[in-house]
Amino acid sequence: MKPAIELIGVSKWYGSFQALKGLDLTVAEGERVVVCGPSGSGKSTMIRCINQLERHQKGDIRIHGRALSGEAKTDAPILRETGMVFQSFNLFPHMTVLENCTFALTWVKQMPQREAEATAMAHLERVRIPEQARKYPLQLSGGQQQRVAIARALCMAPRIMLFDEPTSALDPEMIKEVLDTMVELAGTGMTMVVVTHEMGFARTVANRVVFMDQGEIVEQAEPELFFSAPRYDRTRMFLSQIL
Amino acid sequence: MSDAPLVFTPRPADPPPPSTIGVVGWMRANLFSSVPNAILTFLGAYIFYVVVYAIIDWALIKAVWEAENRRQCLDMVGRSGACWPGVAAWIPNLIYGLYPKDQVWRINTGFLILIAWAVPLWLPRVKSKVAIGLSLVLLYPLLVSYFFHGGAQTLVWTALIALGGAAFLWVWLTTLAEMRFGLGFGALVARLAGAADDERARRIGWGALAALYVLALLIVSQLSFVEVQTRLWGGLFLTLVISGIGIAFSLPAGVLLALGRRSQMPLIRVFCVTFIELFRSVPLITILFMFNTMLPLFLPQGVEVNRLLRAIVAVCLFASAYMAEIVRGGLQAIPKGQYEAAAAMGLGFWQSTSLIILPQALRIMIPSIVGNFIGLFKDTTLVSIIGLFDLLSMSRAVGEDTRWLGLFIEPFFFITLIYFVFCFLMSQYSLNLERRLGEGQRR
Ligand SMILES: Nc1ncnc2c1ncn2[C@@H]1O[C@H](COP(=O)(O)OP(=O)(O)OP(=O)(O)O)[C@@H](O)[C@H]1O
Ligand SMILES: [Mg+2]
Repeated sequence: MKPAIELIGVSKWYGSFQALKGLDLTVAEGERVVVCGPSGSGKSTMIRCINQLERHQKGDIRIHGRALSGEAKTDAPILRETGMVFQSFNLFPHMTVLENCTFALTWVKQMPQREAEATAMAHLERVRIPEQARKYPLQLSGGQQQRVAIARALCMAPRIMLFDEPTSALDPEMIKEVLDTMVELAGTGMTMVVVTHEMGFARTVANRVVFMDQGEIVEQAEPELFFSAPRYDRTRMFLSQIL
Repeated sequence: MSDAPLVFTPRPADPPPPSTIGVVGWMRANLFSSVPNAILTFLGAYIFYVVVYAIIDWALIKAVWEAENRRQCLDMVGRSGACWPGVAAWIPNLIYGLYPKDQVWRINTGFLILIAWAVPLWLPRVKSKVAIGLSLVLLYPLLVSYFFHGGAQTLVWTALIALGGAAFLWVWLTTLAEMRFGLGFGALVARLAGAADDERARRIGWGALAALYVLALLIVSQLSFVEVQTRLWGGLFLTLVISGIGIAFSLPAGVLLALGRRSQMPLIRVFCVTFIELFRSVPLITILFMFNTMLPLFLPQGVEVNRLLRAIVAVCLFASAYMAEIVRGGLQAIPKGQYEAAAAMGLGFWQSTSLIILPQALRIMIPSIVGNFIGLFKDTTLVSIIGLFDLLSMSRAVGEDTRWLGLFIEPFFFITLIYFVFCFLMSQYSLNLERRLGEGQRR
């Protein structure tokens, strides 16, 4: 298996506070990793370092074998292989759903308008909301917005999808529709790193669960093993709280 | 039988009680809901009546409409009625200043061009609105500078005027092409020429633009207007020139300053902060004085910057500093997630700023931006203190005319109306804009 993401001794400080303490993690191509851990453990920071929304100060990050240099110019094509879905959707409220999806295609990939719209509609159909294409994001429900956000990220044809608590801002009945979309996506062989506390999702979809605390990876294991026989007391305590 | 559901038949709606609807209902609810409220209503109505009646009585009923000079007015009605012939006689000066009468058509043409340039912005099916708007702000002044000032053209100036002229031609050709064929001017020419591929089409499009420029050069070099020095400019015309340039300059400059203030690069940030704080903490009147009296001292001997230009530069810098703070406020209101989403999709700084952040920020800033424009428009009255004859100083000149000696109130009343109309239109337009842009995007 070729590695899709490699973190090698990655450290990150906010001021003098160390949020990541020399993380080592390898995600293979097509692998689906669920990251969990208590609040403030550095899950978001790690996933945001992978696509450089946050700069790490020490260690190396490689995407498909290519190292990130910290230079925006040289990193841009490498980072284009990653797509990100946020907890708060972050759709562009001044554009319609369709424009949200075509926007980066026309401006970053210089795709002709008609082709971009066809691509966008294909992905909106994939997340099953093609009929909402002409609406504005704020006219949609939270679950629909998050599915648009997923379609928008998919439009750029990334090989790796990063999810940072994609269902935490949603009402219970909408969580399912978003998770279903993600399960379908997993079925296509996409490399996925998902920060989530949806343990049902972790059990059925993940190849591996990573547990973090205080900026470190405490343990990682296949979901079966992780839930039935966690090795560390910290993990056990966390699981007893959320299950 | 007991399982059959009961059938629900809705009761017909009753009409609302008559005392709560219609004019009477509204008045009862809003004007006479209680005794103190009723007293206030009557008091307010009385004051309104007195003030409005006094104004109408003075300005219309007792007013004099025909007279040779102020003496005649005073003989007829004394001070109890307005003396409008004085204002009427001065209207050309109030509008055009001391601009030569036989050249006034150049100003009118200039403003007609402005209107013609802006019309496509309101036409449906025109797609290049951003480009047209930008050309209006950046290139229209080049073209119109020759209409307003005239005189001998230098080589560079001819080139610049022609640039403005070519832009104007392009605006209308593109507008027509897009309305008729849904294609821009360049693309249409390429289509007609039968361009095989995109690269060829682009080259033909540029060729068409170059041809347009040459055409504009030919036309412009044929124009020859008498020079009208800027010290003859005045009245509403001057006010519009100063505030127009101030408005057109301050928005883009304010955006750049605001972005600079948030920049990661210390040098740019320090420069922007210094500039903004410096110009914001000094009254406009001081800046005008400084530019008028001190600037010539710093410039090398022989270089003379004309007085109007000095005033315009001062107004532009001052307005940009204010605009920068307004824009900064708007930028701060945009959640960080918007930047992150844009970055995660591979957009660079300028792309995400101009396409994601600014459109949203400008939308929430419309009321304050227009408020600033209105303030700027009125603040241009201050240029009278450095000897420019804007609308306000022109109106004072009426009372110094020997025929209309002492006629001050009427011209003031008149220009007050002019200021009111302009400012009111601006604020109404901003409300309208807000409403249209906000469609479907209410949070
Ligand atoms: N921009 C920032 N500036 C300073 N400290 C930060 C910043 N972002 C995060 N931190 C700190 O870094 C630590 C890790 O934050 P992070 O957001 O990665 O946690 P998390 O595991 O995603 O938590 P949650 O489950 O609440 O989202 C926290 O202690 C947080 O306070
Ligand atoms: Mg988080």
